Amino acid sequence: MTRVSLIDLAGAIVVVAVLALTPMLLNSNYLTGVLTVCAIYAIWAASWDFMSGLTGRENFGHSLFIGAGAYTAGFLATVWFANPWYSLPAAVVIAVAFSLIVGFPTLRLRGPYFALAMLTASAIMQRLCLIFWEYSGGEEGLYGLEPLILSPLHYYWFVLAVLVAAVAILTALANSHWGLLLRAIRGDEATCQAAGINVTFYKMASLMISAAFAGLGGALYAHYQLQVSPPLFSVVVSITVIIMVYVGGIGSIYGPAMGAILLTLLTEMLRGFGEYRLWIYTLTLMLILFFLPNGLIAPLWRRLAERLR
Amino acid sequence: MLQILIYGAVSSAIYAMLAVGFTLIFGVARILNLAHGAFYALGAYSAYVFTGLLHFPLFIAAPLAVLLVAGFGVLMERFLVRPLRYSQLAVLMITLSVSLAVEQGLFITFGSEYRNVPSFVADKISIGGVDIGGQRLLALFAGVLVLSCLWLFIQRTRLGAAILAVSQDPEAAQYMGIPTNRIFSIVMAISAGTAALAGVLVSPFLTVQPGMGLLPMVKAFAIVIVGGLGSIPGSILAALLLGYSETIVAYLISSSWTELVSLVAVVTTLMIKPSGLLGRRAAF
Repeated sequence: MTRVSLIDLAGAIVVVAVLALTPMLLNSNYLTGVLTVCAIYAIWAASWDFMSGLTGRENFGHSLFIGAGAYTAGFLATVWFANPWYSLPAAVVIAVAFSLIVGFPTLRLRGPYFALAMLTASAIMQRLCLIFWEYSGGEEGLYGLEPLILSPLHYYWFVLAVLVAAVAILTALANSHWGLLLRAIRGDEATCQAAGINVTFYKMASLMISAAFAGLGGALYAHYQLQVSPPLFSVVVSITVIIMVYVGGIGSIYGPAMGAILLTLLTEMLRGFGEYRLWIYTLTLMLILFFLPNGLIAPLWRRLAERLR
Repeated sequence: MLQILIYGAVSSAIYAMLAVGFTLIFGVARILNLAHGAFYALGAYSAYVFTGLLHFPLFIAAPLAVLLVAGFGVLMERFLVRPLRYSQLAVLMITLSVSLAVEQGLFITFGSEYRNVPSFVADKISIGGVDIGGQRLLALFAGVLVLSCLWLFIQRTRLGAAILAVSQDPEAAQYMGIPTNRIFSIVMAISAGTAALAGVLVSPFLTVQPGMGLLPMVKAFAIVIVGGLGSIPGSILAALLLGYSETIVAYLISSSWTELVSLVAVVTTLMIKPSGLLGRRAAF
């Protein structure tokens, strides 16, 4: 991988500037809310891509970390009445703890074990939230979280700043020696092992980083919605994130983040379709799998950057 | 005590039917089919449509439902999975999207409310002082029958030998003149059919709603991992193990804790013996 070039940097600045200024120009609370959700999904998609896109170990239960982060924020707010700012670091810690529990037994194995175990763990967590409703609030979830920042516009800027930081950190890691090792693991795990690379350690560490950002995004989402509920753990959340990554272009970090923003905006526009929305999503995924296996946004940007150079 | 014995056997039979289909298509075609739960849900909904709405008798409705779902599975394998077989991730993605599409389709057509399927066998049968619904006994017997037939089919027939050959080495089998692609279709039909049959059999005593396939599929994963990916006897053994431990946990502690059993089983297996109880290949 090459270093981040000037043209990539310029593109990133333009996109961030447009994202930051749009709500000021249009001045609508509705739009600010939609953009906040866009930015949170972008954090989730970028964090999924860092682990699964680079190492090729597909994570079908990213919602486990998202839900863990969100519920941590929920419990802190409703049970311990803690300062809402504590929920961000707490969510990161809990999400990383979950990643250790699932990752440790499964990531040292080859084959589909990790994918299956993540899917199983997130589905079972959702069930447990419903079963232990005395503690988790059951179907309704937990209510009464306090917003981190009162003004929606300022909160949006805060989330956007977190997103920019997340993408910057993940891209820097992906472009480092470290990211190269992760890609090598995707290419041929046995050879890496033979070359003396501690494959399990690198996979585990990348999962922990991925979980940390997903949990952070989960807490941000909880403090935006001011409530948490079991569907946060659902497979639908995981698959939505994966579709966003696929649209963006797997393995490029910035592509999935942009894919998440575009698809979330598209979803808002499709709101009129109601129940058919998820169908449209699923069909999009099938079409992309068949016709654009490299995704849409990252290849387009690469071609555009080539032209501009 | 007897109650645990019988109820455990019933849930084991249902789990075994799901897990054997799942492990078969993985073992033979290396397809990790995340749409397996969707087949189960489709089976249950077909039972609802055929017996609840159209009032067909069971002996017509059940085979019809199984054939329908098996056909759906074959079409899915042929047109959606086969072109993407070059990548394991793409196969996972496409089967997962099929399962979501089916769930959403059921939601749009039937709504999210629970559907009741009229019972096939109304009588209760008393065994040693324990009343067991005829439904559950039917599920148990049908499950045992189907699995034994499947076992005989694979071990004793020419087609079964071809399936075994493909599962051991698809390329060598192809060179010997076995049409591998046709074998994949046949195995997919068997796998989807058994899942659908499990769905039909449980429909009268479990809730029929669009999301019903996910949890049994998760259980099937757990069983398959515990038993060893690709091993049929392993799946049956693990299904018995999981079915009984869930029933025992439900009796001794509370039914809320049953969901944890499969999770604990998976984690312990992967830590201690990742290849599963009877898995031939090590997972490493």
